[in-house]
Amino acid sequence: MLNYLGLIPLFPLIGFLILVASQGNMPRRWVPWIGAGSVGLSAVLAALVGIEFLSGSLEPYRQTLWTWMRVGHFASGFSLYLDALSLNMMFVVTGVGFLIHVYSVGFMADDAGYARFFAYMNLFVFAMLVLVLADNLVLLYLGWEGVGLCSYLLIGFWYENPENGAAARKAFVMTRVGDTAMAIGLFLLFARLGTLDIQALLNRASAAWPVGSGMAALAALLLLGGAVGKSAQLPLQTWLPDAMAGPTPISALIHAATMVTAGVYLIARTHTLFELAPAVLQLVAAVGAVTLLIAGFTALTQRDIKRILAYSTISQIGYMFLALGVTAFSSAIFHLTTHAYFKALLFLAAGAVIHSYHHEHDIFRMGGLRKRLPIAFWSFVIGSAALTALPFTSGYFSKHEILASAFHAENGFWFWAAGTLGALLTGIYSFRLVFIAFFGPENERASEHLGFAMSVPLILLGALALLGGFVSMPLGSVFPRSEPGELGLIAGIFTDLAPLVGVGIAVLLYLLRTYPVEALTETRWGDMLHRFWFSGWGFDWLYGKLLVNPFRWLAAVNSSDIADDIYRGIAAASQYAHRAFAATQTGQLRWYVAAFTGGTVLAIALGILS
Amino acid sequence: MITTTDLLALLPLIVLSAVAVIVMLAIAVHRNHRLAFLLTVAGILISLITVPLVSDLVPRLITPLVLVDRYALVFTVMAYAAGLVAAVLCWEYFRVREGHQEEVYLLILTALLGAGVLAAAHHFASFFLGLEILSVSLFALIAYPLREIRALEAGIKYLVLSGVASAFLLFGMALVYAETGTMEFAVLGGRPGTFPSVIGTILILVAVGFKLSLVPFHLWTADVYQGAPAPITALLATVSKGSVFILLLRYGLESGVFRVPVVSVLLALIAVVSMLVGNFLALRQNNVKRILAYSSIGHMGYLLVAPVAANVVGGNLAAEALLVYLAAYFAMTLAAFGVVTVMSPADREAEELDDYTGLFWTRPWLATVFSVALLSLAGIPLTAGFIGKFYLFAAGSQGALWMLLGALIIGSGLGLYYYIRIVFQMAQAPAALQARPEARPVGAHLVLAILLLLIFGLGVYPAPFIDLLHPEINVPKQSAAQQ
Repeated sequence: MLNYLGLIPLFPLIGFLILVASQGNMPRRWVPWIGAGSVGLSAVLAALVGIEFLSGSLEPYRQTLWTWMRVGHFASGFSLYLDALSLNMMFVVTGVGFLIHVYSVGFMADDAGYARFFAYMNLFVFAMLVLVLADNLVLLYLGWEGVGLCSYLLIGFWYENPENGAAARKAFVMTRVGDTAMAIGLFLLFARLGTLDIQALLNRASAAWPVGSGMAALAALLLLGGAVGKSAQLPLQTWLPDAMAGPTPISALIHAATMVTAGVYLIARTHTLFELAPAVLQLVAAVGAVTLLIAGFTALTQRDIKRILAYSTISQIGYMFLALGVTAFSSAIFHLTTHAYFKALLFLAAGAVIHSYHHEHDIFRMGGLRKRLPIAFWSFVIGSAALTALPFTSGYFSKHEILASAFHAENGFWFWAAGTLGALLTGIYSFRLVFIAFFGPENERASEHLGFAMSVPLILLGALALLGGFVSMPLGSVFPRSEPGELGLIAGIFTDLAPLVGVGIAVLLYLLRTYPVEALTETRWGDMLHRFWFSGWGFDWLYGKLLVNPFRWLAAVNSSDIADDIYRGIAAASQYAHRAFAATQTGQLRWYVAAFTGGTVLAIALGILS
Repeated sequence: MITTTDLLALLPLIVLSAVAVIVMLAIAVHRNHRLAFLLTVAGILISLITVPLVSDLVPRLITPLVLVDRYALVFTVMAYAAGLVAAVLCWEYFRVREGHQEEVYLLILTALLGAGVLAAAHHFASFFLGLEILSVSLFALIAYPLREIRALEAGIKYLVLSGVASAFLLFGMALVYAETGTMEFAVLGGRPGTFPSVIGTILILVAVGFKLSLVPFHLWTADVYQGAPAPITALLATVSKGSVFILLLRYGLESGVFRVPVVSVLLALIAVVSMLVGNFLALRQNNVKRILAYSSIGHMGYLLVAPVAANVVGGNLAAEALLVYLAAYFAMTLAAFGVVTVMSPADREAEELDDYTGLFWTRPWLATVFSVALLSLAGIPLTAGFIGKFYLFAAGSQGALWMLLGALIIGSGLGLYYYIRIVFQMAQAPAALQARPEARPVGAHLVLAILLLLIFGLGVYPAPFIDLLHPEINVPKQSAAQQ
């Protein structure tokens, strides 16, 4: 069974090729069977492969499909690597991915670009599977760039609106910054260690570099650059909220469940390298802690239902980075998995609201949707409960592990405190959304007509979000075993109570309106803070002032470009050379013979002179 | 003394000669285009089948003239396959045109025979014989459409210049012989470093440079490519140039002339100017056949990296790089000329860039094949051309030939411009909907599909091909033992 591993990424690729080859001429009713069916086949096969792998010895399984090229010491192969970590990722990508594909069958049913949508989605799943199954960093990078490309294509899916195109470009350029760092990191690793095969590379790294060596830190830092770009962490986080311009299933699949967590996967995959650089690990944890707080505060103030979820995604990935930073790798992956369940659920439920409510995004124009949209409402309640980490939901187990591990790490108190404060914030902003959108007076009429294709994935994801915490992958076979220690009484109480307190605050502020929040935001300082948080802590403004405007200024000043002159010069020189050489092509035989003889004389002269 | 085993080892050449005789007799008895074509195709296929049969007998020196080894056999397969493609293209091309068509196959067979002899040549005599068998066949092939003035002009040009080159070649051989007293490559080993034989060697290289259309012996290329019928141009671009290159590497390695400093400097210089001049010439050209002609000058320059690097990296890697690049070059060049052939209506050839405007909309399949062939010629990854270039790069960087690699990069950059220009032309909106030609060239489309698969196959999964190509070029010891 295991040797069918190579087929798992193949099915979505075939689906993509069929959909592209049909050039939009395929009958509409066939599209979902190919688009969602291919991913469904992958999911079934992944389940079968997974069962066999888990019932075995958990030894990593390698499959070399073929060697692309081997020249000198450089060999690059299409080879796959399956261990508990990549299996976990594969389950998430194919399982959650399949549910989202099924949901899209209903959600996108009226869209003109139906086939195009599924073609991109299939290509994305293929690239993501290549990313998580790759045995060497070249192949991983192929998948990494592939998902970036699909993300670009899908954010700008409704390209008629220029704003969507701008959002797509922003996402592409911002992640490119990180990817460049990562590419340099790969070159460095290859130059120093002579291989890009992940396992061999990690072995050689730990043999060649002592703990704390500068080279290990540099390499880890460069990889971290790629990871923060892809996973929308500080300082490259600003693209993710804008990426919500894409269709909602895309936000669920790419910008919540899978692609944005690729950075977490990358660090977990190369954790040996990061463990050689404790300072970088501290940085990872700090990035995570700061990001989760900033994004949490920002989420408190947003009005757009999808932007709230986007900031909460950034915040939750912050938790994963925090966990990675305190070497609780399996907790990070556990949280990644549960987050995929409940965040996909929340996005799909948000999609259901938007779908039923005339494409309305502003939660303050909603209200009282509880009765009219029961499936969406209960999905939101379950999803928010898991997001807030209320006891016994899936999010509770994973977040608790992270906070417990953080508490015992170096500088752990501060990380723990940040995480706990973040949990409090999570409670407030999640239930603020639920109370404002679903409770209160009914503003406008909305009717739920979700159909089979959209409601079944919601129900299944709801079950996963509730119960997914009871199942976890035996990640101990991949990572050094680290038991999350006991929190102790006081810290434990704080940790468990923080989300509940958050929910309580939300109840008081937004449901019962005992203390109306306007009283806070209408004071001078409150208003300033509100606007500051609403703008995402001014990062877009800052980057605009710091980078974009100087660049535009430079471009304007230099509009008849100095650099262009070089290229124009090259072009002119080439054309000149072309004309000069073309003049020798007279078509006259006597000139040809003369030139031939002249060339011979020159060659002989060279022979005599030497 | 020639033994039975020797004859067996020569089977690919013997069978091909027999086929040529049979085709000739068949034409004499019953003039029929289809019959001649089918006999030729069957004959080449049978000759191809004999190659794996004899591959166990090699390497084998048969008289001092011919050395059959893996290196020769691999190229023989490539040349015969290219001949097969050319024959199919000729069938499609000449079937809709007037005049006697049958002899073209006879001439293709003799050209292939010449190429086969060149690939196995081990001696100046077989070198010259093979080259002349090939060249004389080509004179006739180029000027085959007797009533077309351009074809005749191209034929005359090639004939006269070839005559000059052959004169240089013979004189060069005579000089080398006068100095060393031998005409066997292997026996020359290490000796051609003295004065008259260096001049002789240079004259030999000049003749080779002419056949390979290297700068400054390149002026004929565009006129002949343009004037010859498109399928014949395909044959000229692949089989003729490939076999001469195969010979050049063997001659250079066995006789040790690459180790003579002035020779390697000369080759490097020729390589650099060929890469640059060829690509510059193609830059603003509007005739597709001329573009391909000029680009072939550049490609021959790239290929020269392999022999120049051979001193440092050794014969095996150089031979491997050469064969991989040639295989890729054969596939993409044949595909490109195949498209030109299929595109050509009965009364003229589709050679102007304007003929290809909007091809993606009118004939998407041909446009796809042409684009892939052009991108492969440009060396885009996942095509055969990339793997070929990668090999040359590997050989060149191991040999530390930075000048050559610099020129290779510049040449490739220039190449991208004019290759992509054709692709752009094909992607533009068509001017007017042209009527499709009535004849459905099924055979040509089949051949194009196979070539497309080869270009992708070599680009995506080259390992098995490269294993097959593994040349194991012979080392001169063997013949030294015979002395």
